[in-house]
Amino acid sequence: MTNHPVRVLVVAAAILAAGAAAGADDPPGGKSRAPFRSRAVPKERPQSRPGAAAPTPAPAQASGDGALVTRLPEVVRQAPAGPPMEVAPIDRARRPEVNAAAALIDDLIDRASPAAARADDAPLDDALFARRVYLNLGGRIPTAPEMVAFMASKSPRRREELVDAVLASPDWVSHAFNLWADTLRLRDAAQFPVYAWPYLDWVKRSIALNRPYDQWVREMLTADGRPWENPAVGFQLRDLGMPLNYVDHTVRVFLGTQIGCAQCHDHPFDDWKQREFYEIAAFTAGTRAGVEQYRSTRRGGTEPPSRTRLNLRDLSAEYQKLLVGKPKEELPYMGHLFMQHLRANALSIDNGPHDLQLPQDYRADDGRPGDVIDPRVPWGEEPADAGGLDPRARFAAWLTSPDNRPFARTVANRLWKECFGVGIVEPVDDFRAGNPPSHPELLEHLADLIVELGFDTREFVRVVVSTKAWQRRAVSHDPTSATPFPFRAPVLRRMTAEQLWDSILTLIARDIWAYQRPPYEAYALLGGFDLGGEGADLATAIPVFERFQKTLSQHAIDQRLRHGMNYLDVWLARASELPQPSLAGSFLREFGQGDRETIDGRREVATLPQVLTMLHGNHGRAIIDDGSAIMQALLANDPDRAIDVAFIGILARPPDDADRETVTMVLRSAPTALDGFRDVVWALVNTREFLFVQ
Amino acid sequence: MRPPRPLPEPPCPRREALARLARTTLGVTLGGRLAAAGQARAADGPKASAVITLWMLGGLSHIDTFDPKPGREEQGPTETIRTNVPGIVFGAGLRRLAAMADRLTILRALTTQTGAHEQGQYLMRTGYEPTSLVRHPSMGSWMLHATGHTGDLPGFALVGDPNHHPGCGFLDTRLSPLAVSDPDKGLQIARRPAGLPAPVLDRRLAIAQRIDRSFHARYPDAGVAAYDEMYAEAVKLLGSDDLGAFDIALEPEAVRKRYGETRFGKGCLLARRLVEAGLCAVDVDSNLWDMHFDMFQEKVFPAAIDAVDRGLSALLDDLAERGLLERTLVVLATEFGRSPRINSSGGRDHHPAVFSGLLAGAGVKGGMTHGASDERGFRPDADAITIADFNATVAAAAGLPYAKDFFAPNGRPFKIGGGGSPVREVLA
Repeated sequence: MTNHPVRVLVVAAAILAAGAAAGADDPPGGKSRAPFRSRAVPKERPQSRPGAAAPTPAPAQASGDGALVTRLPEVVRQAPAGPPMEVAPIDRARRPEVNAAAALIDDLIDRASPAAARADDAPLDDALFARRVYLNLGGRIPTAPEMVAFMASKSPRRREELVDAVLASPDWVSHAFNLWADTLRLRDAAQFPVYAWPYLDWVKRSIALNRPYDQWVREMLTADGRPWENPAVGFQLRDLGMPLNYVDHTVRVFLGTQIGCAQCHDHPFDDWKQREFYEIAAFTAGTRAGVEQYRSTRRGGTEPPSRTRLNLRDLSAEYQKLLVGKPKEELPYMGHLFMQHLRANALSIDNGPHDLQLPQDYRADDGRPGDVIDPRVPWGEEPADAGGLDPRARFAAWLTSPDNRPFARTVANRLWKECFGVGIVEPVDDFRAGNPPSHPELLEHLADLIVELGFDTREFVRVVVSTKAWQRRAVSHDPTSATPFPFRAPVLRRMTAEQLWDSILTLIARDIWAYQRPPYEAYALLGGFDLGGEGADLATAIPVFERFQKTLSQHAIDQRLRHGMNYLDVWLARASELPQPSLAGSFLREFGQGDRETIDGRREVATLPQVLTMLHGNHGRAIIDDGSAIMQALLANDPDRAIDVAFIGILARPPDDADRETVTMVLRSAPTALDGFRDVVWALVNTREFLFVQ
Repeated sequence: MRPPRPLPEPPCPRREALARLARTTLGVTLGGRLAAAGQARAADGPKASAVITLWMLGGLSHIDTFDPKPGREEQGPTETIRTNVPGIVFGAGLRRLAAMADRLTILRALTTQTGAHEQGQYLMRTGYEPTSLVRHPSMGSWMLHATGHTGDLPGFALVGDPNHHPGCGFLDTRLSPLAVSDPDKGLQIARRPAGLPAPVLDRRLAIAQRIDRSFHARYPDAGVAAYDEMYAEAVKLLGSDDLGAFDIALEPEAVRKRYGETRFGKGCLLARRLVEAGLCAVDVDSNLWDMHFDMFQEKVFPAAIDAVDRGLSALLDDLAERGLLERTLVVLATEFGRSPRINSSGGRDHHPAVFSGLLAGAGVKGGMTHGASDERGFRPDADAITIADFNATVAAAAGLPYAKDFFAPNGRPFKIGGGGSPVREVLA
């Protein structure tokens, strides 16, 4: 082991002394809680012309372009003014129960482990433990001051305290959001003409408020209305126009079961019948996305087309006329955006009565094409109190019921995998007879636990990371090996794309939350108007549209990142606040961020472009910029201590003797100490030790 | 279904031929390789030493492209067009390809059980069903493995998103495709920026290596080792003079126009440059094809198929003009077809039962179709081809030993192409 707590304590004093200059952040959730930093609704920026083509910044290589920002923006160089968001507090008083629950899990693991498996057990020292907690629960490395504060703590319960603090911090919200974004396929640009951002913010808010999982899932499955009035409709809108895929995705994400094959034929490897697929689909057959679909006579509705529909048609036609004579290049663009905005105001999810018929190419012999199918749950019983509800609500009640074991098992297994790196069932969305759990007893126990905790996913994670098993030194694991993983310790893992990005941001910016996405309430406020109301005309609609273009449109939001948060085209915001997903070819995507088309699409496979990016992407230049958080921290100390700061701030451990020798040699041969430290910081970021979570 | 065929003897090239193949296609320098490669092929018979695969991800409609059903209700709004081969008809969006159908082999009776994108794509690219026990290599990685890839430049490139690619499977990490996410940007990052001259980079990497010693000692881990290899590869690549191959901006404007100003067209152009530079395999992904609704609107299917028609026809012409088509196999593939029945949203849903694929260039005949779907395009009617057969056909056209067992680290045997039998009727 290379860490020396005593040494860290000595260093601690020095860094804390240099505190103001070096940027001593409060530990997350710390006692000196500044007032909640409100996410103000963005102000209008009159100088930005709506519809004008976005000025594309020149690539960083093309130097000499005066417009390119080559200095770290001031806003990220300042210490944060206060917590960026409100996070549900964690119940410290429940610690004894948490520890008792963790001990039960350790018992189960011990009982399932052959003696040989225990031979690899090794303790994890405090420094590496802290790094793992920050990365696995907070999605980023700890800063040097955070590490120092932790190592300086004399509390015998400092590990528990750290876990509880990180789980009650915005870092947890950001990290958990990234995980769910991958599973729920969260995208900014969902199906035309939806603005998906309010839904994304709603998911994030549900995590921040630590709402019970079964509750927010039920809301997503049953939400009605317009996206920015009821953002939870975003889940159903995600598969707009593809009702059968919606069923497939929903069952896969929440019940860990792949029934998609049964859409076209009986499942080849499982006992799913094609008919069963349609029986499940029948529950949501009445869900319609569109402009008040059930108020149209066309689709079997009884009422005539609503005023909203008529206005939608009339206003867009009138607007097209207005555009005559405007500069040519703006025309199609503006027409398109205005239309999109109108439709976003008109579009809603409605649920009504609608039969599902077997498709024309139905293959199985238990039904004929055109047969009307009654909704039926594929296993278990519908909850007794769901009887009077409409089919969609009955389905949601059944799916999220505490008695529905697959629901509990799936989320328990997902969260377990996030902690340990391997699921008890792999892949996490392929539960079936032919793919049994490696530890059945443990899986059932964890399913019981999540139900007992009232689907409090954060509390569940709190228990899991409090186990002895999770707090052991990481081990290697070959996912293709035939031997089941013993869960005596987590797997050594590469950081996810988001963990890596947020860790690099932590090295660059003192305020990693300087940019945040607007809250979903802002959308209705700035972009909403009543298209079905009496006064819905162009005179009302245009100002709202123009205000929205300047403030909350994708374009406007991108502009704020581009101009306010930009260093050599590196946007200095947390992954959870960046466009979802990042563009193909961007840092995050190169490192395996999913494209959000595939459920659980992220990957951690090594590729050449990743390494090329690490070697000389612009983020690397930002890290060694004089104004970066890590360089400021180094420069505030004398060289000997700066070496400690570099190692603690980047690898979360002090240097050992060999490291110190290496660095001393580098500094001696460098023209200036600053040059030497740039080499060292760059090198530390390019170690495997940095890239992996031990 | 087709009756089982006896397993043919694999046309496994001799060891010398393999060695020559490796030398001619994978060497360190790129200059002058073309002529040498041509000679090698003349001696070996008409097998492909490079394979370009154009992936229509999402599921390409067979009815609207290579297997139209004129006069049937299922044909929908897509018109049909005669080709320069009597009796072969295409969807009207493929007018340029229709004029060169004599070069194309159309497979009209591909069939699979898999109607989900991810699983279907994996099966199509590897010949195997996905399992949690092993990752199977994709065709490009198999090619490099079987031909003993060495050299500074990677031998396999992907124009697309590596997250959706099985990559090298259980083979060596070095055989993974080098992913170029955006053909316009190429390997922009591979150009050494002014601020980081070679000595600085070397010095910094040396420091990193020393600091990393204790971590390496603690974790002899395959995932860690993969990054060690990638760092070594990256440094080699940065030292190579051949990076220009990745830059389509170096092409004359007339050539770029010919391929079309679309992402797909640019991907095709990049593929040609890379094959010309000596890469063995290039995958070009196009993920526009999951057209569940409003697919016949001008901007949806018609626009997408026009990009394919332009890009693929330009690619075939350009390869032929440069003499590269004699050693390059061009494949157009998709994970499944689209339903003959147009759904209520004006789109077509997934249809794994029957769909089409295309082969052209080295190793295959041309001017023919193989297999047929029924009169409405729902099921195979004659000579159905499984995905493993399809992959084995590609492998055979490239002279790869598709019947040989290769062993994964877990000791289990796997075959290039998934153990299928090549469709001999289409092989040259």
